[in-house]
Amino acid sequence: MPNEMPKEESALGDLTVLDLCDEKGHLVGKLLGEMGARVIKIEPPEGDSARDVAPFRADVRDRSQSLYFWAFNTAKEGITLNLEDPRGRDLLRKLAAGADVLLESFDPGRLDSLALGYADLSAVNPSLVMTSITAFGQDGPYRDYKTSDLVAMAMGGVMYSCGYDDLPGSPPIRPSGWHGYNIGAHYATLGTLAALSWRDVSGEGQHVDASIHEACSCTTEAAMPTYIYQKELVHRQTGRHHGVQPTPKTLCPTSDGKLINVFAVFTSLNQWLSLVTWMDSKGMAEDLMDEHYRNMARMRVRAGPEVDHAFEVVRRFIAAHPAEEIYRGAQGRKFPWGIIRAPEDTLEDPHFAEDRGFFAQVEHPELGETHTYAGRPYIANATPWRTFRSPLLGEHNRSVYGNDLGLSSEEIARLTSDGVI
Amino acid sequence: MRRHALEGVRVVDFSWIVAGPTCTRILADFGAEVIRIEFEQTMDYTRGFSASPSPNASGMFNNLNRNKLGVTLNVMHPSGMELLHELISVSDIVVENFSATVLERWGLDYEAQRKIRPDVIYLSLSGFGHTGRDRSYVTWGPTAQALSGLTLMSGLPGEEPAGWGFSYMDHTAGYYGAMACMTALHHRRRTGQGQWLDLSQVEAGMALTGPAILDKTVNDRPFRREGSPPGNRAPGYAAAPHNTYRCKGEDRWCAITIFSEEEWAAFVRAIGAPEWTDDDRFATSEGRLSNQDELDALIETWTSTRAPSEVLHELQAAGVIAGAVQTPKEKIEQDPQLRHRGFLPQIGHAELGVNKFEGEPMRLSRTPWELRRASPLFGEHTQQIYTELLGVPQETVAELMVEGAI
Repeated sequence: MPNEMPKEESALGDLTVLDLCDEKGHLVGKLLGEMGARVIKIEPPEGDSARDVAPFRADVRDRSQSLYFWAFNTAKEGITLNLEDPRGRDLLRKLAAGADVLLESFDPGRLDSLALGYADLSAVNPSLVMTSITAFGQDGPYRDYKTSDLVAMAMGGVMYSCGYDDLPGSPPIRPSGWHGYNIGAHYATLGTLAALSWRDVSGEGQHVDASIHEACSCTTEAAMPTYIYQKELVHRQTGRHHGVQPTPKTLCPTSDGKLINVFAVFTSLNQWLSLVTWMDSKGMAEDLMDEHYRNMARMRVRAGPEVDHAFEVVRRFIAAHPAEEIYRGAQGRKFPWGIIRAPEDTLEDPHFAEDRGFFAQVEHPELGETHTYAGRPYIANATPWRTFRSPLLGEHNRSVYGNDLGLSSEEIARLTSDGVI
Repeated sequence: MRRHALEGVRVVDFSWIVAGPTCTRILADFGAEVIRIEFEQTMDYTRGFSASPSPNASGMFNNLNRNKLGVTLNVMHPSGMELLHELISVSDIVVENFSATVLERWGLDYEAQRKIRPDVIYLSLSGFGHTGRDRSYVTWGPTAQALSGLTLMSGLPGEEPAGWGFSYMDHTAGYYGAMACMTALHHRRRTGQGQWLDLSQVEAGMALTGPAILDKTVNDRPFRREGSPPGNRAPGYAAAPHNTYRCKGEDRWCAITIFSEEEWAAFVRAIGAPEWTDDDRFATSEGRLSNQDELDALIETWTSTRAPSEVLHELQAAGVIAGAVQTPKEKIEQDPQLRHRGFLPQIGHAELGVNKFEGEPMRLSRTPWELRRASPLFGEHTQQIYTELLGVPQETVAELMVEGAI
């Protein structure tokens, strides 16, 4: 397979991971696989539901060409397995006996009802780390409630902080990009790694019960402490942080029709002076060179006409220049301003695309194509990241059932025709 | 005695504000000994998030820094630097989230740290990473969200971006930082080898835009187009209804998401099958999708007579995926699930008293996370760490304080 590396160089190269997750948890296996674990995605014979999610390559609704599935299932092998069939359940027990980690996102109680719960699998393999990712956790009054990416971010309070303050009647907004599931998967990965750490020391496996609701519930920054400590609610504001009190608008249009995120304007006097000097050099500082605007402590805390006016003048300056010039000019003066980019704009950013080699070229030999994928979340200098394309449905049935479980070609053929795999 | 997943792991923690402290909070919650290094002249901003002049009165800081220890140390003082070297020599992990050149300026880049502790795991968590032409650029969470594309992906079609109402990429960079540290620990236990983990907040955000990147590189379809961003509708699924709906009360909302014919039928039954649900236009998922504006308005006639929590319970009981847009107050005071799961444990703090803390959202059956202590008061463990861990005589610690080294 392309981009694979020798075991000893990879961080998790000693681990075998069984991944039974649907959309709720498929990111976890990807993250472990890209750090070197051998991840075997286990799909029902008809395929994972994520294969039906758009966009599709060339907009052709084909279960092997969902770009959504591609993106979240890299660095995995793939097999099919029917857990409704007792022979299928037996195969899963055999696979679990030789695995280090099992990831699953079935409704609570589902695997127990198939005699494949943690109690069953840990009896087969006491050092197994089993991670269950569910909407609300394995127990409690909402245990049987179902979720979606939108509902997860509604219930967890992410949406309460996101939306518009200048569009009357508009609802709280769910940032798109599957972040409800991403947040759940991030914590499920963290729980899995913590459990692996304990296993390294003790040899003991354990069950990790990850709740998407709780994961979203602790991913809202100041919203929770502000209520806990001040009994105040933060309110959503267009394109910027939630706040108890309204804050100045930060989205500023540029001359080329883009937006710059303008904030931290009054952090220090030196920075302020560098900003107004820059504006003055373009003849656009208006009255901002006045001493009057130099009390940063006051400007920072006091919303009011002075602050509003200063922002207005800065906005006029930005509106007269292209985004790239403002972005580079401001960053050169240590202002943390950014361009509001579309995700694909990053493909053109030389710092990430060239200097840091962020993007990955991934071969699709079945199509005779190579495609550019979003790459690694961080650089690990001793244990390089790797990736390869997501599995075709049942692509590794032969190698996994044959080589790992020692089934003969005839047995595999029979299991296939019986709909067990 | 309680056992912890990361017990025996010691972390030197230079991190501040939100991203770094989120990373070390996770490590501390699972039992690592996290030692925050602080200095009065460069105090963590979040210590100032309160009306009081005390550095120990910030709820935001308390929430992010529970379970950690805190010492003071002046890296600009030679004796301070000497102590820091000693501390690194007995630690497993060093975490910092300064701008890219700060540790280099202190003479503590990865190569220098390795000379002190050959198997050190060093996590640098910065906006742009420590290499590349723009490495000196500065980011806060919103900058990383803007540059990675995440801000633009949030909003109603045809409107300005709604973006994220908080520093999502501070949280998320912290999550990836903690993952990187634990992954590197696993590798080190096997090989004896440490490493440098260079995390860029912008890249961690970019890594989450996978499907959008592929839509561009494979299909040449830009994200900015009609109907995109999708508001609260379903990207990816040909499914409707899928939206937020107004509920009873001021600015109260619920979310309803229906993906299958069974769920639609259950929904129709649950809302008492009003006449409009019979409309032929809504009989198939294609029909519901192409008439979703009207469908959403009709659904709102039902939701607007109910509180969000009523919609949640009535629809979930019927097998429909629905939820309330919960406020922080509801999560903290009312959510019976969070209460049942013990998501908000409490512990006392010398200046802030007993308060609730956000929990860790994953339960480990053998080695659960534990709220062991509130956040450290400024310099609270200075004496303890220098005398007990590094063996510095008490009188010397007192002298170092007078000299301004710690």
